[in-house]
Amino acid sequence: MTGSLRRGTLFVLALAMLGALAVAAVAGAHGTASSSQLKEGGTLTIGLAEEPDALDPTLARTFVGRMVFLSMCEKLYDLDSHLNIVPQLAAALPTVSKDKLTYTIKLRPGIKFNDGTPFNAAAVQESIQRDLTLKGSVRASEISPIKSVSTQGQNAVVLHLSSPYSPLLAQLADRAGMVMSPKALAAEGTNFAQNPVCVGPFMFKDRVAGDHITLVKSPYYYDKSKVHLASIVYKIMTDPSSRTQALRAGDIQVEDRIQATDVPTLQKDSGVSLIKSVTIGYQGLTLNIGNKNGVLKGYSTLGTPIAKSQQIREAFDDALDRTTINKVVFGGLNQPDCFPIAQSSSWYAAATKGIPCNLHADDAAATKLIKASGLPTPITVHLLLGGTDPVNARLGQVIQAMEKQVGINVVISATDFTTSLNTATNGQFDTYAVGWSGRVDPDGNIYGFNATSGTLNYSGYSNNKIDYILNGARKSLTTKSRDTLYNAALKILIADRPIIYLYHPVYYFGVSKNVTGVQVYGDGLIRASFAAYTK
Amino acid sequence: MGGFLLRKAGAALVVVFLSSVLVFVGVRALPGDPAIALAGENHDPAVLAAVRQEYGLDKPLPVQYVKWVWRALHGNLGLDDRQLPVAHTIVSRIPISLELALLSVLVGMVIGITAGVIAAVRRGKPSDHAATTLALVGLSVPHFWLGLLAIIVFAVDLHWLPSGGYVSFGSDPIGNLEHMVMPALVLGTGLSAVLMRQMRSSMLTSLGADYVRTARAKGLSERSVVGKHAFRNSLITVTTVVGLQLGQLISGVVITEVIFVIPGFGRLTIDAITARDYTLIQGVVLVTATGYVVVNLLVDVVYSLLNPRIRVS
Repeated sequence: MTGSLRRGTLFVLALAMLGALAVAAVAGAHGTASSSQLKEGGTLTIGLAEEPDALDPTLARTFVGRMVFLSMCEKLYDLDSHLNIVPQLAAALPTVSKDKLTYTIKLRPGIKFNDGTPFNAAAVQESIQRDLTLKGSVRASEISPIKSVSTQGQNAVVLHLSSPYSPLLAQLADRAGMVMSPKALAAEGTNFAQNPVCVGPFMFKDRVAGDHITLVKSPYYYDKSKVHLASIVYKIMTDPSSRTQALRAGDIQVEDRIQATDVPTLQKDSGVSLIKSVTIGYQGLTLNIGNKNGVLKGYSTLGTPIAKSQQIREAFDDALDRTTINKVVFGGLNQPDCFPIAQSSSWYAAATKGIPCNLHADDAAATKLIKASGLPTPITVHLLLGGTDPVNARLGQVIQAMEKQVGINVVISATDFTTSLNTATNGQFDTYAVGWSGRVDPDGNIYGFNATSGTLNYSGYSNNKIDYILNGARKSLTTKSRDTLYNAALKILIADRPIIYLYHPVYYFGVSKNVTGVQVYGDGLIRASFAAYTK
Repeated sequence: MGGFLLRKAGAALVVVFLSSVLVFVGVRALPGDPAIALAGENHDPAVLAAVRQEYGLDKPLPVQYVKWVWRALHGNLGLDDRQLPVAHTIVSRIPISLELALLSVLVGMVIGITAGVIAAVRRGKPSDHAATTLALVGLSVPHFWLGLLAIIVFAVDLHWLPSGGYVSFGSDPIGNLEHMVMPALVLGTGLSAVLMRQMRSSMLTSLGADYVRTARAKGLSERSVVGKHAFRNSLITVTTVVGLQLGQLISGVVITEVIFVIPGFGRLTIDAITARDYTLIQGVVLVTATGYVVVNLLVDVVYSLLNPRIRVS
């Protein structure tokens, strides 16, 4: 091994290990029974809050679909309970060349797909190429810097990049890193979603649209001894009250994302225990600064007070009491914050260093700023809510009441989530209450929303300095330089306020007390592959 | 007769065609870009363009319509957002909703008619007041609330019945009935309230009629008077009411399927609209419209067979 390669390896190891340092609050796990207390067999039924879309890693788009994939489609890399990136189908973290353009990934030998065919470098190559080239691929943009994939024998692949890209490993720890059986791809083609085959502790058995997805234990899995359940059924239960009652009745054993009003009830239920997951996502208010014509269609200001004046945006922010919002709207269950990176993330401390975060309102400062702006009060600001449910309504009303104190008249309009996305994409809003499910790498929580070329830049915010910093952070592979860059970016973003960050969602999951081994990490995904009933 | 049938069939085809145009245009008039809804969190322009291409949303509307109709005529309603065949999904869901609707009608009729008879026969007595009050409650209480209450009591607290879901009759008849009892009772409650009031009213009218007085005067037993004479005549009006209530029942089926997590046609419709799954919405609405037209056509045909004057006119 050459000196430069060794340094490259050390950089990657340091990056991955420090990339998500241990944080106690991130991971939630239910039960730690010893193996003698575990029953073999049985079906675990998980009530999902939404329905997954296509069970095809190349085409999949939904958050909830990732939960199903966890049990049936392993990846090159995975996250551990502290959100560190660790090898899963890969044998080790990748070796990165000095110019950061070549990633060599060694693969674990002796693994089979769930159709009995061998997992090898050629299969990985085919999957990544499919992700890059298949029409409609949602993965292509996530791994776009990969320009080609080659193999080194049976057990190593080499990724050749067109430019350095530090979020790549995080992408390979998600759907872009899932490897599909070449035999199944050849047989099913674009209908792979109807009969998906990967490497996993469970394999796909059947799916009834809108009702359930059934997975059964795989006889091919390389670590079969850790798998205790005979099958897992993912039941689609979109009504949160029905889901909670089903858990209490024992018809399901795991409940996905309990609604806030049901948490106290389940806390008192002796047959159920709760897993708390402080997510890596965020919820906030996007302020329309320059999105007049639509995202990526050339930014120009709407001319509203919020768009034109940084003072007004600051006043709007100062009037918000994040602690009170959390208490009144969410029963104190979420985690108030001022930043897009979760407090549980190892990036948080360095990225937010020296940037103040006031969780309480400062009405005096807000009023002063509004007076200084010279604008007559009340200043009208429209707030778009992406949902017509009671929680969204409460959020809107609380914000409205807070802003009224400082002379800002908030006019609320609520619509269903899909319509609100469309409205925001077209720039037809002043402020928009929306969030993001979150990504392990800070690039995933910042770039798309704040870079000029960001595809989720509803704000229409365009700042050359921010573009330079964020692109630099993508190309840099050392943690230290990325820390510095993200800190610099956040200083600018928190001041300019294209997004006012309010809180990080905390999800609660219910698990029957006779089940052990269900885990939820900071990514908010239910991990049940190695769960079991207790004796 | 042949001419009559041809005219009716021709009219039905026109209605189906107009329905297909309406559903096609109507779905596209829904607010929100379907590509954004279908693309999930990834709004990369390349992804949105690929989604539009995949679902044919980038083609002119007439081209999209013709393609869709051509495929539909060959039984291919396309793939939904899950990449699953829409036709297969719809066909598998309809029997489930039909079963729920039929069981609800059965429950509604049994409870409503029985209560109505008792209330009429014991007019002014406590049982009459009780039945009337229960009918008022049944009419006032919304299905979703009653459903959740039933789940809490019978599934969570008593563990007598499952909280929701569905098991097919073919695979497990007892399980099927266990899963359908609560939903059918909840949905049938509203219908039973209406039928109870109607039955009571009809029975009171019948019991006061001359032929009933005559029957009593002849010495027939009260059981025979009520059961054989008054009851049978009262059923005619009630049957008509059942037919009129079916529309409301169908809307109740949708809510009940959501609360009880039943994979029926109603829930499929709601999910399709919420997800902006154009292909699925089109398929669902087209099947519904076609179903109505076919049923009406059959009713016209049967009616004309029973009543020759209809054919001639």
